[in-house]
Order: sequence, then structure tokens, then C-alpha cells
Amino acid sequence: MSTLAPTTCTISLTVNGRPHVAEVEPRRLLVDFLREDLGLTGTHIGCEHGVCGTCTVLLNGASIRSCVTFAVQADGAEISTVEGLARGGEMHPLQDEFSEKQGLQCGYCTPGMLMRACEILAENPDPTPAQVRSAIASNLCRCTGYQFITEAVIGAAARMRATKEVTS
Amino acid sequence: MTTVDRAAAAPPVRDHSAKRRWVGQSIRRVEDPKFLLGRGGYIADRITPGTLQAAVLRSPHPHARILRIETAQALAAPGVHAVITGADAAKLCNPMPDFGPDPARHTWRCLAADKVRYVGEGVAVVVADSRYLAEDALELIEVEYEPLPAVVDPERALADGAPLVHEALESNCAYERTFDFGDVERDFAEAEVIVRDRLRWHRSGGQPLETVGAIAEYDPGTGSFTIDTNTLSFTSYLFMAANTLKVPANKLDIRPVPAGGSFGSKLFANKPAVIAAMCSRATGRKVAYLEDRVDNISNCDHHGSDRIYNVELAMMRDGTMRGIKIDVVDDYGAYIQFGVGHHGNALAQVVGPYMIGSVRYQVRAALTNKNQQGAYRGFGSEVNNWMLEQMVDKAARELGLDPVAIRRKNFIREFPHFIPTGNVYDSGDYDRVLDKALELADYSGWRAEQKRLREEEGRYIGIGLISAQERSVFSATEFWFWFDEPGAPVTSTPESVSLKVDATGGITAILYSCAFWGNSPETMVAQFVAEEFDCSPYDVSIVYHGSRDGLPATGPGGSRTTVMLAGAVEGAAGKIKEKARRAAAHLLEIDPDDVEWSDGGFQVKGDPERKKSLAEIAIALHLFKHSFPADMESGLDESKVFDHPYTTMPSADRKDLGVFYPFMGHACHVPVVEVDIETGAVTFLHYAAVHDCGTLVNPRSLAGHIVGGTAQGIGTALYEEFVYDDDGQLLSSSFLDYLIPSAMEVPELTIGHVETPSPYTPHGVKGGGEGGRMMAPAAINAAVNDALFPLGIRLTELPMTPERILSALRAAGPAAGGAG
Amino acid sequence: MKPPPFSYAAPTTLAEAVGLLTEHAEAEPRVLAGGQSLIPLMNFRLAKPGYLIDLRNVAGLSGIRREGDILVIGAMTRLSELERSPEVAVAAPLLAEAVGLVAHTPVRNSGTIGGSLAHADPAAELPAVALASDADLVAAGPAGTRRIGAAEFFTGPFSTALAPDEILTEIRLPVWSGGHAFVEFSRIHANFAVVGVAALIDLDGDRIRRAALALTGVAPTAIRATAAEAVLVGADAADPAGIKAAAAEAAGAAVEGLTPAGDLHASPRTRLGLARTYLRRGIDLATSRARNER
Repeated sequence: MSTLAPTTCTISLTVNGRPHVAEVEPRRLLVDFLREDLGLTGTHIGCEHGVCGTCTVLLNGASIRSCVTFAVQADGAEISTVEGLARGGEMHPLQDEFSEKQGLQCGYCTPGMLMRACEILAENPDPTPAQVRSAIASNLCRCTGYQFITEAVIGAAARMRATKEVTS
Repeated sequence: MTTVDRAAAAPPVRDHSAKRRWVGQSIRRVEDPKFLLGRGGYIADRITPGTLQAAVLRSPHPHARILRIETAQALAAPGVHAVITGADAAKLCNPMPDFGPDPARHTWRCLAADKVRYVGEGVAVVVADSRYLAEDALELIEVEYEPLPAVVDPERALADGAPLVHEALESNCAYERTFDFGDVERDFAEAEVIVRDRLRWHRSGGQPLETVGAIAEYDPGTGSFTIDTNTLSFTSYLFMAANTLKVPANKLDIRPVPAGGSFGSKLFANKPAVIAAMCSRATGRKVAYLEDRVDNISNCDHHGSDRIYNVELAMMRDGTMRGIKIDVVDDYGAYIQFGVGHHGNALAQVVGPYMIGSVRYQVRAALTNKNQQGAYRGFGSEVNNWMLEQMVDKAARELGLDPVAIRRKNFIREFPHFIPTGNVYDSGDYDRVLDKALELADYSGWRAEQKRLREEEGRYIGIGLISAQERSVFSATEFWFWFDEPGAPVTSTPESVSLKVDATGGITAILYSCAFWGNSPETMVAQFVAEEFDCSPYDVSIVYHGSRDGLPATGPGGSRTTVMLAGAVEGAAGKIKEKARRAAAHLLEIDPDDVEWSDGGFQVKGDPERKKSLAEIAIALHLFKHSFPADMESGLDESKVFDHPYTTMPSADRKDLGVFYPFMGHACHVPVVEVDIETGAVTFLHYAAVHDCGTLVNPRSLAGHIVGGTAQGIGTALYEEFVYDDDGQLLSSSFLDYLIPSAMEVPELTIGHVETPSPYTPHGVKGGGEGGRMMAPAAINAAVNDALFPLGIRLTELPMTPERILSALRAAGPAAGGAG
Repeated sequence: MKPPPFSYAAPTTLAEAVGLLTEHAEAEPRVLAGGQSLIPLMNFRLAKPGYLIDLRNVAGLSGIRREGDILVIGAMTRLSELERSPEVAVAAPLLAEAVGLVAHTPVRNSGTIGGSLAHADPAAELPAVALASDADLVAAGPAGTRRIGAAEFFTGPFSTALAPDEILTEIRLPVWSGGHAFVEFSRIHANFAVVGVAALIDLDGDRIRRAALALTGVAPTAIRATAAEAVLVGADAADPAGIKAAAAEAAGAAVEGLTPAGDLHASPRTRLGLARTYLRRGIDLATSRARNER
């Protein structure tokens, strides 16, 4: 067992568009940094061994499991969490569709699922239900059985494509 | 009980209004916005700066004496405020609240004091500035154990000479009794065929993504504990937890916070709260104890049923079911906090939807070196469903009868129907559910496809069809009708709601102990309130009240929430309306009998021009006392403590257990699976599910529970098991090995609804939250057996892992093909 | 489940990284790539390195390039980049197919090819790909760089031929003409494989000219099935019954003498059975792809 005294590192990162500079122990998990140091408790902890995906956030647009990522590994990165989805009091189409389709029951897996869904739709704006189901297999849900989540993501995809057509 | 007594004991049959505005609508849930925005306020989200964190040292041994614990090094570690061993805890706290048969002799403590009884049992707790530092200190605690032989197999545990889990009990059999209902001897004597089988259901558990946690603060100034936790239930029984903490009941306040799932595993799960509270008092600080995943898997006290059945089903050759003899050994683990209540759940619907006339139920509760059972969606009735449907399918095969026909032949068709145990099925239409399921499943289409794929491609497709019950709203009697002279024959399982109408007419509903687990209590209450008062459900404010100064409440469990909240809201609303009627009549200067409720207010009968809205009535009652008679108090708020509406007492000889679970739902599941006989993998080709839970409040919400419950049933049937090896080591101690189905393991379900209202409940609602899991394991086992029937294989052990399927294929010999 | 404390550095050059490994040798240093294998072990406190050397900022360790008929991949290349790479799809489709089976997208976004190979999990996919492809692994240490053949690289469960002061920098994969297949059995989609098979089949006309087969999940390391390969050489890919028989014979040869460990997911006997099944399926798929390639 190491007897080295804990040292800290300085990290600079952007979270939901806001820059932060912080001193962290190297061992501090990114999920704990976000939740406790930044007060962004929307990202949840399910297993702490990288299996369930509850802790999913985006790092430079790519989904990662923040329970098996050290905060120091996010130095210089742009992190997106669920708190950054709604803009000016209006929910993101994914959030609204999850409510419309009842894609959540206890809500615990929901933030991670939403962030993963952002990545899924960024990669493929027009997925089939089978493609959505396969992609969300990365995130466990114990309540919904995934059916209404799939419907919500498909619904959001349609709305996001329509908005894009209107604005482009 | 005689027929006359039974009729007299039933609640009045109700008329249900055909016109419903909010009940029956699949509205968006009122709870959702905070969860979607990441502002759910779960227990871990509520830790404020300066709160200390606890971590528990768990036993690596399944059975061992604790000889010595050295804590000095841990206590000296950075950031550590306290180290409390099990021996210390035994002085600081009394044993845990325990509804088991003999708590004095199978004593359960928050930390093991002299002996550990399962891998994962806590032996010490560290309190530190952070969880990181607490875990660092755990590694500095030295424990000297004297390992003892472990007992893991329940049948061996019951045999002579087995190592004793609790020496004081002098046996590993915590409870044993045989019940006879109806004329078992006659039915078996007259039977033409006896169908026999041995079945094994291994333990799985709720494993919600959020573990149990508590934040506790002891105030030495008042001698009180305040505990926030995601597991509040049975508030009237919390004096037991207060006793554990050695404080009077009115010095303990437990406050609910939203839970990230439960499925039973957060039901009365007070150990983390007790540990956090004990640590708070010891350190003089606020302390949070949040289980991590390994804590929860190994030490949650909520493993599911773990049973060995030996069953005999007495049949006539034409398929008529006469009687059933059930011998069940249930492996409870090292403690037995809920006694054999799980078997009460079974007895509530033990004969399924069938006209079986007699039941012999022999239950033995075995203690072993494993974490104890608690609650898991179905609470033991799902296991009975599985066992019974396996027997029905076996009977069909042995008698050469069609699986659909044999079920129809025995369906109960007249309601209310009292089953041999004495419980009642209030209403139902099993043919209608079956018909709809066959249609949605395209049953005949799949039978043809099954045949074609077998003959043309050598593939093994199976269709499972099960029809089974989903009881709702348990009574307290099922805790004690196991004993002829119970120590505490309790009869209360209330649920309370307070409604408050403020001076603007805005309505607030207060829930007591009715925790949010993902089961939408806020939406249910909002829809019921909206129905009563013609307001929008989104305008109703919902508040959760703590235990100490709250009304009595029981909380979620046994699918009771919908019915009990319906009754509580109806009661409170009735009282509000009664006062509002008098107030409105007074304001309108007319007799109270001449006003009626219409569209949000009271109006003179037939004269909508002369009306007072609820808001007008409310502001007057709040602000204008002198407008009213002397005996009318200011304000407009009322409460209802709604007790179980239909419970009857068991007979002294226990041949009739009375009515204890009356609101009986029913379902039919029809999965179509393919079994890969080279790998043992089971995949779904189709899955139809039709449920009847009476009147639906929010059909989409119920459908969500059906899918989610079915997903957990898929886990139980194929993937999930708490595996203890022969030495008592827990092999599935993390999500790496405890396998939860992902979106790829759960098919899309085709769901149908049938509604036969309950005659006894508001709007005719019944509970339905557990239903998916109560059906799916039985249905999937049936489907796999149907697929493997041509190979002469029948699986009788869950979960049906690839290992078990391949072993069965190998045992069936070269004709069965098999891997390799 | 919080990890134990450690000292940390994020050097910017390979020399610096190697230097740190040597300098802090007594602290049981480890290299941090994506962390997707190491950090879970640390959260369980099964791994307690005193010093972590993070390679994320070291220049020149990631990237994909072609050197003649060798595909050269930097050790820090993220698995998701490999998955999306058109070069990998063309030059090393076996690798592309295997990478797609490594856990889920979020893990592949962080995880690296070097990290997976150096971790040497006996049930992991990429060691089998390296073996089947006859890859060379390039290591950098205080004395300079050296090449280690895949056959020598994996020495035991979670152990490799890398010295404690060496860092894996590059993977060199010979380009394979012909057909490929990576198939595996896992209980939950994309979860850890129980057994996996990497298969490469090269044809001369209709005859199998060359075969490379590797297995995971049946031995202390991923293994090459050379006896099975010998059975396949010369088989007629245009003869369905012949190929089926050859594949079955090869599968039998591959598992001959293996004594896999059992666990709660699969007994040794089941693992052997699954290995035979997936060898047959892998050979079949690689062969038909080889025929379609022509």
C-alpha cells in the first residue's frame, strides 16, 4: 500500500459551456468531481465499476463513464451533463419526449440515458428502432424495460430533424 | 366462515361512474420535470458540506467467529472521526426491527457482533470526512476470524448435524408448518392422475440502480434523530427502529426522499439509516451512509425467494384439476426479517385462476450462510405462479391435452370467488384476457411457424402460454396467521392523505410514507384529486411528510399504492366537499341539501348561475370567519386515514385464513423464443402480454410497469442469480457477474389491457405494478420447455442459464445434438 | 468503491514517461491509457499502483498509418477511432469487427488498443486478434525500443512480456488478404465474452491456402490454434459438406488438451463446447467472406 501523501493537480475544463479551474486529488473520480465539487448532482452513480452506464456524460461530444474516469483525465476537455440540456427554461426535445412517451419511471438512469441519446442522434439523426435499442444497450435501466425509452429517442429524432429542416 | 358471514364481511359493492375525466388518461407524469432536469433530489444529492461519510467493513467469510478487531490504526488515519465495531454497536443499539418468528434467538444486528453469518455482513463502520478516506481506513482495520463450517444448501441446512447459523435457535429451521385447505385427502383419493415434479427457483433481487442510503443527524439538545432516507415505510412500526436506536418513538423522524428504484428492496430497509444514525450520535456530526454496489449486492437484506418445490397435482383425465400438495423449502439466508410472509403472498393466489378445490401447503424456512431475503416484486407469489404453471403444462403433456384447453377447462368464472385458503378473488374475466392474448400473440400463426422452422430448418422455437394472478393490497394478517398464538396479531395497514385547499383554491396533497420509487404516486394522487375537484393534475402540489408527526402510512408494496391512495384521496376529498358544501350553502343562503357539486364548485341544484367555486369557498373559509356559523372552523383541509377496506380474520384452526389480498388482477403472457441448442442462448421472437388490473388510472404508466416488470422477469428466468458456491463465497458480487438485462435482452412487448373493475374500490382500481415480473418467469420457462420438448428436455430450474440448458442437452444424449 | 491514493504525472514525451517508470519503480507504477480496465480494478481496490503515468498528453502515440502491407497503430489510439477508421476497415477488418464487440461505445471512446493488449485479459478480444494476425507489439524502455511478436507477448492471465519499465507504443498488423471473422459468445450483449474466436482464411482459387485461428476464454491467455489451422489448409471452400467437416475437425483439434477454468457463467466442459461451436461458426463465416472477396 502506498504511503505517499495525497497531492493535488490543477485541472482546467469546461462543463456545460462554463470554464472551471480546480485542484483535485488524482484519484478523484470525474463523477464525484462533477457531483460534489461542482454541485452538478444530475449525473448519478450506479455501480462504480463501469458496467451500468448511469454515470454517462459527454467528453468532447463522446460518451464516457464518469465513474471509471479520473477528473484529471478530463483536463482540457469539454464536458456535457444533463444540466446543460435544457436551454432558457425550455427542455431539450429528448427530455420532452422522455416525458411524453413515459421513458422514465424512477429517473435514476435518465440523465445518463439522455446524454447517450444525444450522442446516438448526433451520429445518426434518423435511426431505426432496432438501431436505437442496440445503441442504448450501453445503459442499463431497471424500471422501464427500454421500450418507451426507444420510442422517446425515435420521437426526439423526428422532432430534431424537423427543427433542423426549418432552421436550415 | 360461512357464506353468509363472507357476504356480510365484504365491503359494499360500488357503482362506478362511467364518466371519468382524469382517471383513465395516459397523462404525462407530474413527477417528470425534476428528474429530466437532473434535479431529482435523491439521497446522495442531498449531502451538504460538512457531512461525514461512513463505509462498512464487510466479512470475507461466510461463517466465522470474530475473535478480535484492532481499530487503532484506522482511527488514526487521516480524516477519520470514528470506528465502531459490531461489539460497540451492540452496546449503542438494540437489534434491528424484526418480524421473524423468533427474533430473540435469530437476533439480527446492524453490524455482526460475535459471529458473521454470510459473506458481506458488516463487522465495523468507519466515519470520515469523505467516502474515499473512510475506505482508506477500512483497509487499516485488522480482524481476526475463526472460520466455521458454512451451510449453503437449504436441504442440508435442515438435515441433522448441519452447522447452526444461530446456535440459540438450536436448528436451521426457522419455521415449519403444514396447512390443509379444503378436502385434500378426498381430492387425491378420487384423482385419476397425480402429476409430480421437483422445481428449483434460485434467488435474484431488485438491484435498482440506486442503492439504499441515509443521512442522519442526532440532536443532543432534543435527544432526537432526524434521518433522510430513500426507504421509508410502515411508519406506525418505526417505534421498532427507534427502539433499535434506544430513543423513544417520538424522538425519531424519518423523512422520505425520492428513490432511484426499489422493486421491494427499499421496503423497510432500515439498516443504513440505523448505521448512519448510530454514527451521527457517536461523532456529534451529520453522517451519510450510502451503500455502494458491492455493499448492496452482498448486504442489502433484500434477496428474493430461493425455493425448492416438491409438488403433486391431482387431476382427472379430462383435465379437471382437483387438488394440489405443495412442499416448499425456502432458503431465507442468515436472518428472517419478514418471517414467511412471502408464503402468505403465495397462499393469496395459490390455486391461480383455477377451480382447484383443495391445497396442502407445507413450508419450511431454512437458514443458511447467505444474505437474508427481503422483498422483490411479487414477494413470493411470482414463484408460486411459476410452479403452478409448470405443473399445469406438465399435466397437459402427460394427459395429451392442449395447454390452452386445459386452462380454460379449469378457469374460475364466477366472482367474487373464495379460494380454498379463504382469500377472495374480487372480480375477473380470465377468458377475455386469454382470448386477447392469443390474438395479440398471433398464437396460431406462431404454432404454424414453430412447426415449419423445426421441419425445414431444424430450429427450436417455443411458445409459452401462462395465465396467472397478480394480487394487490395485502393485509396485516399475513404477517401472523402462521401462528396459532401470534405475539402481535396486528391488523393495520393504513395509508393516509391530507388535502389542503389554500385561499386561492390551490390544492396541496400530503403523502405519508408513500415513497416515490418510480411508481408515480404523485401522478396517481394528482389524477385522483383532479377527478374529484375538476382541476388540472399539474396544478396539484404534492408534499411528502416525515414519519414522526405524520399520519399513519404503510407505503408501496404488494401493489397497494393505487388502491390505497385512491381510498385516501376519496376520503379526504369527501370531507373537504362536505365542509365546502356547508360553506357554499351558507354563502348562497340555501340549505346544504339543495346544492350539488358541479364542475369545480357547489351550485344550487339545477341552477348553474348560483354557484360558488372551490376558490370562492376557500378564500371565504380562510379569511372571512365571520361569514360563517360559530361551529365552522377557518380553513379548508382534511385528512383521511384509509385502512384496508377488505380484511377478515383467519379462523382459529387456520383452515380458513380469511380475506387478506382481495383485489385480484390477472394476466396472460405469451412469449415466443428460440433456443440455440449449440450455445444455450435464448432469444425472443415475439412477446405478447395482456393484463387485467381493474380500472386503469394511467394506462401508459401501467404499460411501462408491465414492460419493466417483464424485463426483470426475463432477468430472473435467464440471467440473474445471487450465486453462492459450496463454500459460501458470493460469486456474483458485482454487476460483472450479476447480469442485468440490457435493451438487447428485452424484446418489444405487444401489450393489451382488459379492465374488469373491482366492485370494492374507488373507480374499480386494482394494483398492477408487480404484474410483469409475476408472469414472465413462468411464461419464459414454459416457452423454453415448449422449444425443447422434441428433445425430451424439460427445465425445472431458474435461471435457465446457458450452462443449465447445455447440461440438460448433454444429459439427453446424442439425439439432443448439443454444442460441439 | 473509491480508488486508493496514488501519485500522478501526465508527461508530454515518451522519454519522460519511460523515465518516470524507472524513477518511481518502487512505488509500483503503472501506465494509464484509457483506464477502462485499470480504473474498475482500482475502484474494487484489487489494483493499487502507487504511481500512475498518464499517456494522454504524450505526442506520437496515437494514429493509424500504412507501411506497405503493415498497418501501424499507435497504442493510445482509441477503440472508437479504430471502429470508425476506413483504413482499418480495409486493411484489418478482423480488428474492426473485434473492436465493435469490445463492451459498448462509451467504453470504446476512452479505451485504447494498447491498453487492452497490455491488460491481457484472457477473455478479451484484441489479444486474439493480435495472435491471429501475427502482429508485432513495439515496446519502448530505457534501453530503447524492441519488437515483441504476439506469440511471445501474452505470458499469463493479465501478464505480458513487457518489462516493468517498458511502455507499449505501437501495434504492427500485417495486412491479410482473404476473409475474416470475429465471433464470440457472451451472456449479455456486449458484456465480457465467455469464449471468442478470431479467424482469418486465405484462399488460392477455392482451396484454403492459409488459416489463422485464435481463441479467448479457454486458457490463461488468448491462444493460437495452429493444429486446427493445419487441418484447414487444403480444404475446398466450394464444397459445403467438405468445409463443414473440416471446420468440425479443426474445432476438435483446437480444443484438444485444453483445460479451461470454469466459473459461474460456464463450466470447463461448456467452454470447450462453446469454443468448438464458435470455431466452426468463425471458420464458416471467414471462408464465405474469403470467397466473396474474390
